[in-house]
Amino acid sequence: MKSIQIYDPPMCCSTGVCGPEVDPILPRVAGMLHQLAGHGVHVERYNLAQQPVAFARNPQVRAVLESDGTDALPMIFIDGELEMQGRYPEQTERAAWMKRAREANGAGVAE
Amino acid sequence: MRALELSLKDKMRMNTQTNLYALPVRDLLEGAPRYLFFTGKGGVGKTSIASATALALAQAGKQTLLVSTDPASNLDEVLGLELARKARAVPGADGFFALNIDPEAAAAAYREKVVGPMRGLLPEAALRGMEEQLSGACTMEIAAFDEFTAFLGGEDAGEYDHIVFDTAPTGHTLRLMALSQAWTTFFNENTSGNSCLGPLAGLEKQRSLYAEAVEVLKDSEKTRVVLVSRAQRAALKEARRTWKELVALGIGNQCLALNGWFEPVHADDPVSRHWVERQTRAVDGERGFLHSLPLFRAPLLPSNLIGLDVLRAFFQDPEHAAGTAFADGTDDSAPALPGIDELADRLAPQGRGVILTMGKGGVGKTTVAAALGLALAERGADVRISTTDPAAHLADAFGDTKGGLEIERIDPKAETEAYVGEVLAQQPADMDPDSRALLEEDLRSPCTEEIAVFRAFARTVARGADSIVVLDTAPTGHTLLLLDATQSYHRELGRQSRTTKHSEAIEKLLPRLRDPGFTRVLLVTLPEATPVHEAAALQDDLRRAEIEPHAWIINQSMAEVGTREPVLAARGRAEIRYIHEVLDTHAAGPVYSIPWSTVEPVGTEGLKALSQNERKELAR
Repeated sequence: MKSIQIYDPPMCCSTGVCGPEVDPILPRVAGMLHQLAGHGVHVERYNLAQQPVAFARNPQVRAVLESDGTDALPMIFIDGELEMQGRYPEQTERAAWMKRAREANGAGVAE
Repeated sequence: MRALELSLKDKMRMNTQTNLYALPVRDLLEGAPRYLFFTGKGGVGKTSIASATALALAQAGKQTLLVSTDPASNLDEVLGLELARKARAVPGADGFFALNIDPEAAAAAYREKVVGPMRGLLPEAALRGMEEQLSGACTMEIAAFDEFTAFLGGEDAGEYDHIVFDTAPTGHTLRLMALSQAWTTFFNENTSGNSCLGPLAGLEKQRSLYAEAVEVLKDSEKTRVVLVSRAQRAALKEARRTWKELVALGIGNQCLALNGWFEPVHADDPVSRHWVERQTRAVDGERGFLHSLPLFRAPLLPSNLIGLDVLRAFFQDPEHAAGTAFADGTDDSAPALPGIDELADRLAPQGRGVILTMGKGGVGKTTVAAALGLALAERGADVRISTTDPAAHLADAFGDTKGGLEIERIDPKAETEAYVGEVLAQQPADMDPDSRALLEEDLRSPCTEEIAVFRAFARTVARGADSIVVLDTAPTGHTLLLLDATQSYHRELGRQSRTTKHSEAIEKLLPRLRDPGFTRVLLVTLPEATPVHEAAALQDDLRRAEIEPHAWIINQSMAEVGTREPVLAARGRAEIRYIHEVLDTHAAGPVYSIPWSTVEPVGTEGLKALSQNERKELAR
């Protein structure tokens, strides 16, 4: 894994604690991204309420938004390929992604 | 600061009522630094004192700029000048300039800057979602602070000797601003989160400028923060909270202006006597705080300060200013409005549903909720009262009543702690420190308490299905809209991504609140400019969330009370135009009124006194 891009639904904060009900997965996803970055993965994260230009610039994201609305968010791309849509990764998926990142980039990093 | 302490020693005088050391308000000017911020709860008179201060500084030969941020203020009327975003010279006062930053307009401009370019590029639903997210309190505060920074040593500070702000940023905003520089680095290195700093993303100024602005605020040679309060429990409590929060951020140059201090002419008048008693009680409860910082006192005036002459007199000769303002007001008598006993007559037979008292802090939401709850119980209804008021005395009030009345206390602090604890406990133990720091700062945002209380609120509303629930707290329209957005959003992915159970209470909350047969929102206000305008804004907010208020309640009306005390009688006359404003401009449904009561609205008798039938006897 070289890069990951996340297109979030409109949110106040990426940790989600500003919403009426906190989604516990959001802080975990934020933590995972931080760790991925530590393994040399290029991380980009866009919030529709804050970085809408990124959504408009990506033809694939724009097309999905037009057909499915904001329910299609988040959209998560790994190495440019759409990996997940409409939800965040569960524990097992996050672990798998971490593993991919280590395998892809671990050679260059002293463990 | 030293000059202030010296003058304190020299001029302190004992107040005959309370042994409270306080200086006359004009001494606020002594050793005034370049920047003066006035802050306090709505309706305490920030704008009046800020304008009088700015005018007095200008009169002393200093070039002074007054920066107003109060969208509901009547400062245009006060200064006889239409304020704009650019400074204008105030006619009739050399060296006095003023401008107005409307935080809502600033936030709207910011919102448009983010959303506008996306029109046509993103679907309508996406644009709506963005706009709602950018309508929150955080966006408004940060957009206003962005405009402030231009004056704090920035290019717009220009040649002014003094810049007077009629509001100050909150601790949350200041923390964000102070951190912004360090965090910029953090986010550049890895974009794992953008946090509540997000709203800064679209602002044009350099983040380093924000950090500099915070430094200016902390410098006691440059900045003084004036906490404005009334001699009222809630207002003093808020002032104390702000003081502590700002001290924790390193802002040491603070003082307190106790506005609306009442000294009776007729000490034996029952209304005067009770007014003094309440004032003394409020001050006694905060004695430790009041002795912790320089204290200034301004007298109770019969109405708003209008015109430069009155403003000038307010500092030089407050009693005279009060005298000239007596001419203000109207000879009309107060319009006859039904009391809340009539409201209880109508609501009691329903037997179920939710009654919400809403309005800005200090207007008496809890008292109205309690009085109405009691009146409903007396009419045989099964009533539960739910309150966030920490004062136990209200709950004690019902100790002697039987039958159907149940009290639940929601403690915002305990709810917030539970919520924060729950969120942190859900995090993996090996969470890295940066991510944890980010999460913890988000949890300190002003949104957090509201959300925590919100959950208790949803629980309580659900009980309205089988009894009448009277609630003195409610989330803002903004939170309700977020709930709406969240619900439609999670309807799709609930099964997969959410590990918390989406409780039935929260699922059904919004439909229940929108059902006029189930929920009745009562907008509570005082018959004064700021509370009325704030309640009107609240009504707009509710309507955006598709909730229509059931009625307005005008609380603590002096207009209907007979008193010989000139200042209080004049206040009563000044109220009449705001009562008319509610009737003619704001209320779509019925309007009820509760007169100012000489009986403390505590205990069964005190609360009953707020109903129409009893008040006539008490007026004697």
